[in-house]
Amino acid sequence: MTPPIILTVSRDFDAAPETVFDAWLDPAKAGKFLFATPDGEVVKVEIDARVGGHALIVDRRASGDARHHLQYEVIDRPHRLVFLFRADPAGEGQWTRVSIDIAARGAGATLTLTHEMDPQWAAYEDQTRKGWTMILESLAKVMADD
Amino acid sequence: MVERLDITFAALADPTRRAMLASLAQGECSIGELAAPHAMSFAGASKHVKALERAGLVERRKAGRQQLCRLKAEPLREAQGWLRQWEQFWNERLDVLEALIEAEKERAE
Repeated sequence: MTPPIILTVSRDFDAAPETVFDAWLDPAKAGKFLFATPDGEVVKVEIDARVGGHALIVDRRASGDARHHLQYEVIDRPHRLVFLFRADPAGEGQWTRVSIDIAARGAGATLTLTHEMDPQWAAYEDQTRKGWTMILESLAKVMADD
Repeated sequence: MVERLDITFAALADPTRRAMLASLAQGECSIGELAAPHAMSFAGASKHVKALERAGLVERRKAGRQQLCRLKAEPLREAQGWLRQWEQFWNERLDVLEALIEAEKERAE
């Protein structure tokens, strides 16, 4: 059994949960923020916003085209969006899972993004994840002291 | 790198071994000291230490009659590196999304 590596990032937005949610599935917006790199140009954004649907974002860079693939697993507007994600360049066939949770906060919204290194790890229960996160955090502190 | 991390994480799947690593994070320990909090025999603790050693997480050295264990952080640094890289990526993406939403709001006003 292999515990997951999980990354969590949170952000407060001064906008309604719907606005924040829709940006992820709107090709015009996703093309601007999702995989655009400063020195690249997004030349293709195809989003099939259905459960099981795929998305392709192509970022043209000096070094060549980076093709990012997504596949949607959960689309629950405006609260939750889950997609499998294969960034380019990545190990061939290496999918990771990204979950986005959006909660209302006053007139705004809090977005919590969770990125799991390997989708098979999603099956593991919370305790395992917490244990793993804890050990990574405590070790990070130790390493910072090196 | 991912395969290598698999071995690391397999060794970390066991709660006793994670607790041992947490102890080692505080400094070098003997196998007896690692066994003590877990009501575990020396042989039992030694087995766990061997699993951690195989994963490259722990190093052993002889000190007189004792064997001292030390944490080797390199495989964990790789995991940390992965986490840091993606944390930066997503924070940058969210910065752009925030700016995008703000700009849209200003246009609407």
